[in-house]
Amino acid sequence: MENFSEVLSIFLSVDNFIAIAAGVLIGVVVGAIPGLTATMAVALALPFTFSMEPVTAILLLVGIYKGGMYGGSITAILIRTPGSPASACTLLDGYPLAQQGHAKKALKAALYSSCVADVISNVALIFFAAYLAKIALNFGPPEYFWLICFSLTIIISISGDSIVKGLIAAGLGIIVSNIGLDAVYGSQRLTFDNYNLMDRISFVPLLIGLFAIPEIIEFYTSKVVPHVRSAVSGASLTLAECKRSLKSVIRGSLIGVIIGAIPGTGATAAAFISYSEAKRNSPNKHNFGKGEVEGVAAAEAGNNGVAGATLIPLLSLGIPGDVITAIILGAFMIHGLTPGPVLFQENLSLVYALFCGILLSSVVLLVVGNAAIRYFSLIADIPKAILLPIVLMFCVYGAYAVNNSTFDIGLMMVFGLLGFVFNRTGIAAAPFLIGFILGPMFEDNLRRTLLISKGDPLVFFRGPIAWFFIALTVASLLFAVRRYWKSRKVPATA
Amino acid sequence: MNRLIVKLTSVMTLAAAVTFPIPSVAASEWPADTVKLIVPYSPGGTTDIVSRKVADLLKEELGNVVVENRPGAGSTVATGQLARGGRDADHTILMASPGHAIGAAIYPGLRYDPVEDFRFIRNVISIPNVMVVPASSAYNSLAEFVEAARNGEVTFSSPGVGSSVHMSGELFKTMTGANMIHVPFRGSGEALPALLAGDVDVAFENMPTVLPHIKSGKLKALAVTTTKRSPFLPDVPTVAEAGSDFGLAGYKTSAWFGLITHKSMPDDAVLKLRTSVADVMAGESFKSFLPQLGAEPGEEDGEVFRTFVAEEVVKWDGVAQQANVKK
Repeated sequence: MENFSEVLSIFLSVDNFIAIAAGVLIGVVVGAIPGLTATMAVALALPFTFSMEPVTAILLLVGIYKGGMYGGSITAILIRTPGSPASACTLLDGYPLAQQGHAKKALKAALYSSCVADVISNVALIFFAAYLAKIALNFGPPEYFWLICFSLTIIISISGDSIVKGLIAAGLGIIVSNIGLDAVYGSQRLTFDNYNLMDRISFVPLLIGLFAIPEIIEFYTSKVVPHVRSAVSGASLTLAECKRSLKSVIRGSLIGVIIGAIPGTGATAAAFISYSEAKRNSPNKHNFGKGEVEGVAAAEAGNNGVAGATLIPLLSLGIPGDVITAIILGAFMIHGLTPGPVLFQENLSLVYALFCGILLSSVVLLVVGNAAIRYFSLIADIPKAILLPIVLMFCVYGAYAVNNSTFDIGLMMVFGLLGFVFNRTGIAAAPFLIGFILGPMFEDNLRRTLLISKGDPLVFFRGPIAWFFIALTVASLLFAVRRYWKSRKVPATA
Repeated sequence: MNRLIVKLTSVMTLAAAVTFPIPSVAASEWPADTVKLIVPYSPGGTTDIVSRKVADLLKEELGNVVVENRPGAGSTVATGQLARGGRDADHTILMASPGHAIGAAIYPGLRYDPVEDFRFIRNVISIPNVMVVPASSAYNSLAEFVEAARNGEVTFSSPGVGSSVHMSGELFKTMTGANMIHVPFRGSGEALPALLAGDVDVAFENMPTVLPHIKSGKLKALAVTTTKRSPFLPDVPTVAEAGSDFGLAGYKTSAWFGLITHKSMPDDAVLKLRTSVADVMAGESFKSFLPQLGAEPGEEDGEVFRTFVAEEVVKWDGVAQQANVKK
């Protein structure tokens, strides 16, 4: 019990509580502003943590991370501008809900599922870290390859009405993702000798362009002004809706945990996989994409499930899974601590104090998120003629701010036009995004696998994890074919 | 608690300062304005962490110093902008790293000369790379490794084409004539698990990335890439030392981080910067920061630093051509 009191003595300090609250608050606000990402906020906060106690420092950074993960969904739902890449999936159902006057419902669904996913993710971190870390280490390039193959099958379920159009969008996304230097040889692809294109297209301008700009163009080109009901007076989340979404939230959280524990895949993929699984299993699958609460909940569960789990490889192996955890690793090292097995041997009390703080951060997220909803949902009441110019200003700022590059503003406009064309031709933008994200991962891991095996293709089938994802991929494809067949046999009557 | 509030306020002030630089009153002595430290990479990387610490310490000497991240095309976008000069050029400094020299070797059509277009203040921090193999590896020494790699084929990982980790491996390959296949990842976070799991045979990773894993016994350090042994791994020989029989006698690479400015920077400003950086480097705060990164203070100052960078440019250009990394 001596350890227990030591843990409490490290954890129970006013500084820690302030750090968590401030971190989550900063995260939510920054996450909600397009172009200001949680990554930037964590990097900016890092130098100020140098003089703090180690636990306080890490909790501040973790708080920003978690707040940012949720904050991104607020603007995605309200103005179709995802504050962070991971919340792009949330807008698929969140924005239609807001347009129907249910912004509050969507925001609450996002918040509650984020918090549930956060708790599940934290519990996984605390109790199963060692086990999940072992899986992560067995995840080599061939296993990644199959995971990406499986992830690509979700294009089928997010394509909207036409799979062909979905595949066209995904193909275009893959082509755009090829712009830049080749990952193995460094040769130029589609860069036209422009140095701005050599580091690939940046994500944020693409995201803002694809989703936010078309809305603005639509508003000024269409003659009918859509009538939007007041969001604040709109109905809140009902118990029935919560119950209906619970299964998807738990499934999404678990997907988030697995994806989060594996370095390098990321919250965006987790959100889309969770969404697509929810859609496939839901009795309301036809309502997905048109404003389904369960869709919002599933997407947010997926991306927040990642947040706690990315700390698994960081704490147990010392491997950062993404940029934010890389900065957090930096914070550990600045304080003379080395994440990994040694940390658990030498600083166990500190690790458990950290866990206490991380658990608390989920509760803080609920409180801060609820307050944020109250104020942010007012945005939905602003007349579009006033709101959209402001949104456009944020879009331009956001596209610029990520790399401090004016070229990115031009890129955003180009993708805005593309998004507008997609809207008018009935092509869904989400498969484009999936192609853009997963295309390079698919290629990288295919080539890496063949490089490590020196060209021997048998390495693709080297172990149970590979077989597991092969099975999932095949099952997912068969399921899609069967559904297609069924829909052909029974002519649509509804 | 108050301390924390002060710190949080300063986070926000810094954020505001980055967005809206406040013009300060003109003074006779340089700097007359806020000094901008450009980081040519995204937030969160080693260059970023190092730069923010240095900027923080430089504030005592130079007044307000703000950090601005301007990533793109290796580090060549930000470096090109610095070379072009412009309005704030006399108050802008940039944290150059091996990417400054490697970028010049592998990115085509650069509109600047990596040596002639800049003034060189000082190399601030030097971090060795370490040649590491997984704990399960059959190789226990550099000699065993080279023998095997000459007779067969081995793979080496890196966080990306053109990184100092990649180029250190390519340099090793050209000097020894070993059959080494490069397996690029995206960032050390992805590259490290593949190394720990034994999916790749060797890597020439940055010291801070692999040091914890060497200490916990998951990786074996065969050699360090600098000319002197590292105080953090005193028992590990240098590549040049262990590989003198294999043509590695002149082998030398490191991740270095040094400050450069536009070539028009006036002499008094350069002098002020050099003395300020020297003061910072003599301080306790800087010295206690170094071990956390497995780093050592940079030695090259002024013209010596310029010569050092010029040599780096020539070296990496040669390696890039031999390794067929495209220009």
